[in-house]
Amino acid sequence: MSKRVLIVDDHAGFRASATRLLECNGYEVVGEAADGAEALRLAEELEFDLALVDIHLPDADGRYVAGRISRGRNAPAVVLISSRDVGDLGDSVERAGARGFISKAELSGESLAALLA
Amino acid sequence: MTVGKRAVWALTVLGFAIGIALVPLLANSELNDDRELWIALDLVIGFGWIGTGAFAWLRRPNNRVGMLMMGTGFAWYLQVAAVTDVSVLFTAGQAMSNLFVATAIHLLLAFPSGRLEQSVDRLVVGVAYLMTTVGSIVPIFFFDPAEFGCTTGCPENLLLIDANMAFFESWFDGLSVCATAILLSVVAIMIARWREASPPLRRVVTPLFAAGATLMAGLAGLLLIGLFGMEEEVAYDTIYYATLIPFGLVPYLFLASLVQARMLRGGAVGGLVATVGETPGPGGLRDALALALNDPSVELAYWLPKSGEYVDARGRRVELPTDDEDRERMHDEIEAAAREVYDVTLDGERVGAIIHDPSVLEDPDLLEAVGKTAALALRREQLEHELRAKVQELEQSRARMIRFGMAERRRLERDLHDGAQQRLVSLALDLRLARDMIGQDPGRAQAVLDGAADELGQALEELRELARGIHPALLSDRGLDPAVETLARRAPVPVKVEAKLGDRVAEPVELAAYFVVAEALTNVVKYAKASQARVRLQRANGEVIVEVADDGIGGAEPRRGSGLRGLADRIAALGGMFEVNSAPGVGTTVRASIPCE
Repeated sequence: MSKRVLIVDDHAGFRASATRLLECNGYEVVGEAADGAEALRLAEELEFDLALVDIHLPDADGRYVAGRISRGRNAPAVVLISSRDVGDLGDSVERAGARGFISKAELSGESLAALLA
Repeated sequence: MTVGKRAVWALTVLGFAIGIALVPLLANSELNDDRELWIALDLVIGFGWIGTGAFAWLRRPNNRVGMLMMGTGFAWYLQVAAVTDVSVLFTAGQAMSNLFVATAIHLLLAFPSGRLEQSVDRLVVGVAYLMTTVGSIVPIFFFDPAEFGCTTGCPENLLLIDANMAFFESWFDGLSVCATAILLSVVAIMIARWREASPPLRRVVTPLFAAGATLMAGLAGLLLIGLFGMEEEVAYDTIYYATLIPFGLVPYLFLASLVQARMLRGGAVGGLVATVGETPGPGGLRDALALALNDPSVELAYWLPKSGEYVDARGRRVELPTDDEDRERMHDEIEAAAREVYDVTLDGERVGAIIHDPSVLEDPDLLEAVGKTAALALRREQLEHELRAKVQELEQSRARMIRFGMAERRRLERDLHDGAQQRLVSLALDLRLARDMIGQDPGRAQAVLDGAADELGQALEELRELARGIHPALLSDRGLDPAVETLARRAPVPVKVEAKLGDRVAEPVELAAYFVVAEALTNVVKYAKASQARVRLQRANGEVIVEVADDGIGGAEPRRGSGLRGLADRIAALGGMFEVNSAPGVGTTVRASIPCE
């Protein structure tokens, strides 16, 4: 099962590492966005099943972007990510319409699969 | 106009001598029947005006009131001379017998400032002088006393050209009409001025204006009697003598008001001294001054030497009334009440100003005494005000330092988050990737691990950089000179360092100096577009002096940008000075001097 992924994060180094890791785990990264505006534009253009959205984007709150994407066409799954710990974020993750939250440092094929199962 | 004291004394002696010299002439004059009365009028009025005028003149050499009073006394002698039978005195007296009326009008309209403030005053006074000189000399050439009912011992009119009684009388009638108009105008002006006057001014002018108005009205009445030819039907002479009573009273009223003011002054200043000793609250000093000067409109302005402006007791800016010319113009335009300013000084230094009603000038000695007493209190309040301003400045600076500290913490959190933390996140992902790959593709796994090692190295370097920003280890270990040299070496533009501090100084001073160099060099790299920079560190007069100069575009604004502002507060907290010179086009020089002993 090949899952198409959109990565939304303002750090290019993280996007590159995450792409390598996800592709090694059988995902297909179809797009990368560095900010919220680009993310929403790509969400209209691209077909994907999963979006990884950083909570702290330079131009928008990732939770808002997550809400917009999860209400869009074919309603892809959205997973919020952050380099901060989930404990620092409170219960805003569920309310954002996201499937769940993964700390960036703990991103892996297994952790994603567990969350989406 | 200032005249020496000797000249005033000489004029006084002359005036008294003339008065006395006229006595025997009056006593033997064939010309009038009321010899004793005229001797009394000569002495009482002449001595009164001249003596009081001299007193006022000596007391206030810059105010024309004294001079005008004395002049009126001399002019009065012309009227007296006109009733003698010595031809030369008679002629001169007849020619200008009414000059004393013109000088009295001048005095009334110029009182109390001594100046004719409005153009209508100048017009009326000018016409009065013209009429009592030229206007009354012209008919003299046609006046023969012998034809004017003079029978025995007639003096000769030395100026007689052609006896022409008809011309003389018609000229005199015309003159009387004009004079009546002028006299009534003066009365009207005085009434208007009295109604406009502030209560303290009114107290000062009332006796004089009352006497003056009575004199003017009496003279106008006499002129009308003459015009209608009713001299025979009424007691003309009696009315004339009655009219002279207020005229003779004026100098004595003036003297009485001076004496009264002098007696009041002791009590007033005593009360002020007591108030000043009791540390009056805000506005208390002003109230005490108003009481002492008998002027409820008094305003008090405190001079702030630092900002070069006047403020009131609540610290609001005060504009002093403008100078005379402006005030005169303003007076003509909007009839604004004139205000006077008294500069209060202590040991030659300006401490404030008392803004008061012009009537206060009537008693300059009182103003002087009150001003001297107020100076001490003003000085004290001035110091308190400076202290309050300083405290306010310190409070603001402290609040800025707290804000600056919080902004610094936010910046550190951001730097950590965006820098080292992101690298460590990538590192974690790369390690996980390598772990996943190492079974099927050891070659790729090794490449990923190499990348991870690089990432780790960079993360470490960023952490070190951050730590240096918090507190440079080199500075604590080895001092300012090597720490600044290292800063300079790290900068991407060439930086020449002259670090000649040598010995260590107190840690807060070292730290502040270090951050001046660090922030200034950061700005050189970020904004200045400079090709090189120079850092100078030296110690002079118990201060560490730090200077960072570049050859860039200049235009740095220390008020904006939290970096330079934070530095300025940091230096101020250590009692030092911080300045930025950054004219566009000539580069930027940041300079701090920090006391270190």
